[in-house]
Amino acid sequence: MQFPRASALLFLALPAGAEELTFAATQQFLTSNCAKCHSGKTAAGGFVLNRLTTADTLQTAPVKWTRAALRVRNGEMPPKGAGALTVDEREQFAQWVDRSVRGAVCSAGVKPSASHIRRLNRDEYSATIRDLLDIHLDLAKMLPSDGSGGEGFDNAAETLFLSPLHSEKYLEVAKFATDFASKEYKSRSKVIIARPGPGLTSDQAAHKILEAFLPKAFRRPVAAADVAPYVTLFRAASQQGQPFEQAVWFAIRGALVSPMFLFRVEPPNPDSKARLLDQFSLASRLSYFLWGSMPDELLSDVAAAGKLNDTEFLQQLIRRMLRNDRSLGFAQRFIEQWLRTRELATDKAPDAKLYPAYAADEDLRSDVRNQPVLFFREVFIRNLPLTNFIDSKGTIGTRKLAQHFNEKLPLNNNASSQPQWVELPADSRRGGLLGMPAVLAVASYPYRTSPVLRGAWVLDSILGTPPPPPPPNVPPLEETSSGSTPRSMKERLTQHRANAVCASCHTRIDPWGFALENYDPIGKWRDDEGGKPIDNTSELLDGTQIHGPAALKAALMERKDLFLRNLTNKMLGYALGRGLTLQDSCAVDAILAKVKENNYSAQSLIEGIVMSVPFQQQAGRASAPPMKKEAGKP
Amino acid sequence: MPHVMKNRTISRRTALRGAGVALSLPWLEAMAASANPARPPVRLAALYVPNGVNVSKWTVEGKGRDFTLSATLEPLKSVKDKITVLSNLWNAGSKGGDGHYVKEAAILTCTTIKKTQGADMANGISVDQMAAKSAAHLTPLPSLELGVAPVAIGVDAVVGYTRVYGSHVAWSSPTTPLAREINPKSVYERLFRSGATGQGNAAKMDTLLLDRVLGDAGKLRTQVGADDRHRVDEYLSTMRGLEERVQRANSTSRTAWKARVPLDPKAVPTDRPTDHAEHVRLMMDMIAVAFQSDTTRVSTFMFGNAVSNVSFRFLEGVSAGHHDVSHHQKDDDKLRQYFLISRWHIAQYAYLLEKLESMKEGDATVLDNSMVLFASALSDGNSHNPHNLPLVLGGRGGGRIDSGQHLTYTEDSPLANLYVSMLDAFGAPVERFADSTGPLQGLLKS
Repeated sequence: MQFPRASALLFLALPAGAEELTFAATQQFLTSNCAKCHSGKTAAGGFVLNRLTTADTLQTAPVKWTRAALRVRNGEMPPKGAGALTVDEREQFAQWVDRSVRGAVCSAGVKPSASHIRRLNRDEYSATIRDLLDIHLDLAKMLPSDGSGGEGFDNAAETLFLSPLHSEKYLEVAKFATDFASKEYKSRSKVIIARPGPGLTSDQAAHKILEAFLPKAFRRPVAAADVAPYVTLFRAASQQGQPFEQAVWFAIRGALVSPMFLFRVEPPNPDSKARLLDQFSLASRLSYFLWGSMPDELLSDVAAAGKLNDTEFLQQLIRRMLRNDRSLGFAQRFIEQWLRTRELATDKAPDAKLYPAYAADEDLRSDVRNQPVLFFREVFIRNLPLTNFIDSKGTIGTRKLAQHFNEKLPLNNNASSQPQWVELPADSRRGGLLGMPAVLAVASYPYRTSPVLRGAWVLDSILGTPPPPPPPNVPPLEETSSGSTPRSMKERLTQHRANAVCASCHTRIDPWGFALENYDPIGKWRDDEGGKPIDNTSELLDGTQIHGPAALKAALMERKDLFLRNLTNKMLGYALGRGLTLQDSCAVDAILAKVKENNYSAQSLIEGIVMSVPFQQQAGRASAPPMKKEAGKP
Repeated sequence: MPHVMKNRTISRRTALRGAGVALSLPWLEAMAASANPARPPVRLAALYVPNGVNVSKWTVEGKGRDFTLSATLEPLKSVKDKITVLSNLWNAGSKGGDGHYVKEAAILTCTTIKKTQGADMANGISVDQMAAKSAAHLTPLPSLELGVAPVAIGVDAVVGYTRVYGSHVAWSSPTTPLAREINPKSVYERLFRSGATGQGNAAKMDTLLLDRVLGDAGKLRTQVGADDRHRVDEYLSTMRGLEERVQRANSTSRTAWKARVPLDPKAVPTDRPTDHAEHVRLMMDMIAVAFQSDTTRVSTFMFGNAVSNVSFRFLEGVSAGHHDVSHHQKDDDKLRQYFLISRWHIAQYAYLLEKLESMKEGDATVLDNSMVLFASALSDGNSHNPHNLPLVLGGRGGGRIDSGQHLTYTEDSPLANLYVSMLDAFGAPVERFADSTGPLQGLLKS
């Protein structure tokens, strides 16, 4: 279905005094703006208004409502020439629909969705083999990169397709990994737990090894009947003249290409009612959420003991999992996709000719890219308030970062090159995500800053309220002329106002970006550019004047609930590995309430997600297909 | 609209059970026919460039044989008699939607992609894959998908499409885009490995292993819900395809595939090209050697993902990224840069065509036996214009193409007609392709 969440629609707050719509007023809106085409037997696009005339349709036909709202909001409807609506009118209608539909759907309680099988993405694959065989190789690089779906992450089941290249690579990488492991003492002692000898035939020894190995590889108990074919594989290799260990590694290689390894499989619910997920599936959900890898021994043991629905136990377990080094994988994959800083390695790499010192300094580049990742992890391990992402008194510092910031950071003198949590000076400009060069660079062009890009980045990544698409055939508004002659704020605003169509959105986007103009494309502070002082003043749509980043952060702090909803959506989508459904947004409401109760503490977000209905349960077999959100809208 | 295949002589085998049974199999006969050195195979490639072109510098003056290369196409002068410039074609299905994904993902499928953040992706089957399906049994690799940028991350929340769309032009089914290889060294090793024959024991062991995992998948298929079956099927079909290839490579039959020109094991390229230009060149080399050796007959290459803003500051006179300058807003300086970027792309294309032309094949060249399409899914990127697409077809398609012409059509003629004719020349004729209305008049010799 496709369903715009409340936050999405607050593509910045409506002007003060905008009135709350009523159902009757909404009917009036539809009649006057849509009825001309969407009535009767020949209704355009098969969309008939008379199916939305009663209040119960909010519950019985939520998809129709949200589709209509999205098209209105994005300016696709009413079409050109059918009477123009202002952006405010569009927003007001769409917000009403969103609130009303959510209210109607959630009144029935939070429902889980069906669970689907999903392929391990290349990072998960690499980390899983690392933990399974105890080898430390970057196998991800040997596999094709994965695309993203759902909430924007590359672990979304729906976009993890398989193509012939994958099958070749899986066969090849499994050989590479087992060849490597077969020569490593640590791996061998972990895997080869039996050898043929007195009273133990080689078949029996192989069976013993595989009986222990396969449940780890397949992440759930494996029946004897399913071990046997792998012993047969061992035997075939033996018959080819391969020595015992080599023949065992061959069977293991087979397991690493099996769909039971490559896919996360949750046994489908045979019942028509929703049920708690089985413990082994839950253990995998937890470990792939917080570690990006397979469950460790402890997690498998507690799954076998059936402890994974116990709130108190889970709280302890989550803390333990966050402190484990493996949570670095979660921090990196989540934040680099949420903030898009992964692109610093590709299209968004700062221009080497313009920033030669930056380009040449590998340590600095690595510190810049790791800063948001490690910051994120510290916020969760230290259980700090989530508002730290908007503004914070501490950050991750290194000697190189301090130089880049031109600020004095209280670094540990003995290890100043190591990333570490530091308290920032009182007048620092480096608190929160928006003080980080990685973020400032990824929201710029590689060769110049762009208030439009940065503004849209703040709206999309921080507030979860991406601007509507530009109307067809209206090119993006240009804010400066090729970066060399910055014009004054006034000139820029004048240009914006010159075209009413552009102005309607850009007055909502650009102010956020202008406030960040003191940061150059690599996030260094600047007071002037090309001899002219930087103009960092702007006015938000609600009339708030903001001057520079501190005021910007204060304005974001006032919208912290919007930010929090966006973060919750992103993280729930990441944890579930799929796009969120309308029912999921009811779970998001519940999680948000818990987080607020806990003073925005970071761990309460993860606990809320892990304890949520969609994470803990799976839908019944016969349940209706999930209602997906409207494409394009967070 | 499903693609209907004519003259499909080879039935694709579904599964091959047991080791070492490669005795008399259908593909061997087919191969015997195609291994005739007197008739070199026809190859098909498509090079896709994002963000459109500077139209005023692209447009070609003159018609038929009497045409002058435009400033953008000027790098093609040495192969002018072996190219065909096409004007006024478009994909009607790409009209609506957004400015990029709808256009770019469908450049080789001629459909309308489904607007989605991923949950229900749908495109069509791309023309290269139609060709690949018909020739999959004839070469070690059915097709070769290449690029220089990893899949773009995230979903484009502004327009509501997953960036998976903008990162793939080759689709083997409406729901399956094909993963691309971007590391030149891996590509070369893959070509080399897949072309290696007589691996004996290793191939036998691989077959055993694949049999085992196919067994697991067969069992899994009975356990999963109906919604998940297509994923298991995807697994089954790719693994079976691999098993077939492993077996074929191991065949010692006289008629088995042999490299037309063997790959040089020492010619492995770097896995770390120093810059974008070198990276692209190496990928052009990979297509050339893959075609020359006959390791595959089908390839697609993406110069970048849709909306790519890769920096072209390495070009003299360019100060910005690709997508950035494509929104030139009629600014002279940006238009000039846009033109320089378009011409650079054409120069890389010319490099590939010249390379194929230098590869002799009997009395002709590999270029004579190829069709190498250069295509963008937008004409003017500034307005996201999908009409009158910039298209050049290089090569003579095994002598079928009447090259050295500028062919112009009535406005908004279906791009799909071009694909009908290309598939015909490739030897995989279809009645229809997407919204085609027939073959492309004047392209093939009658």
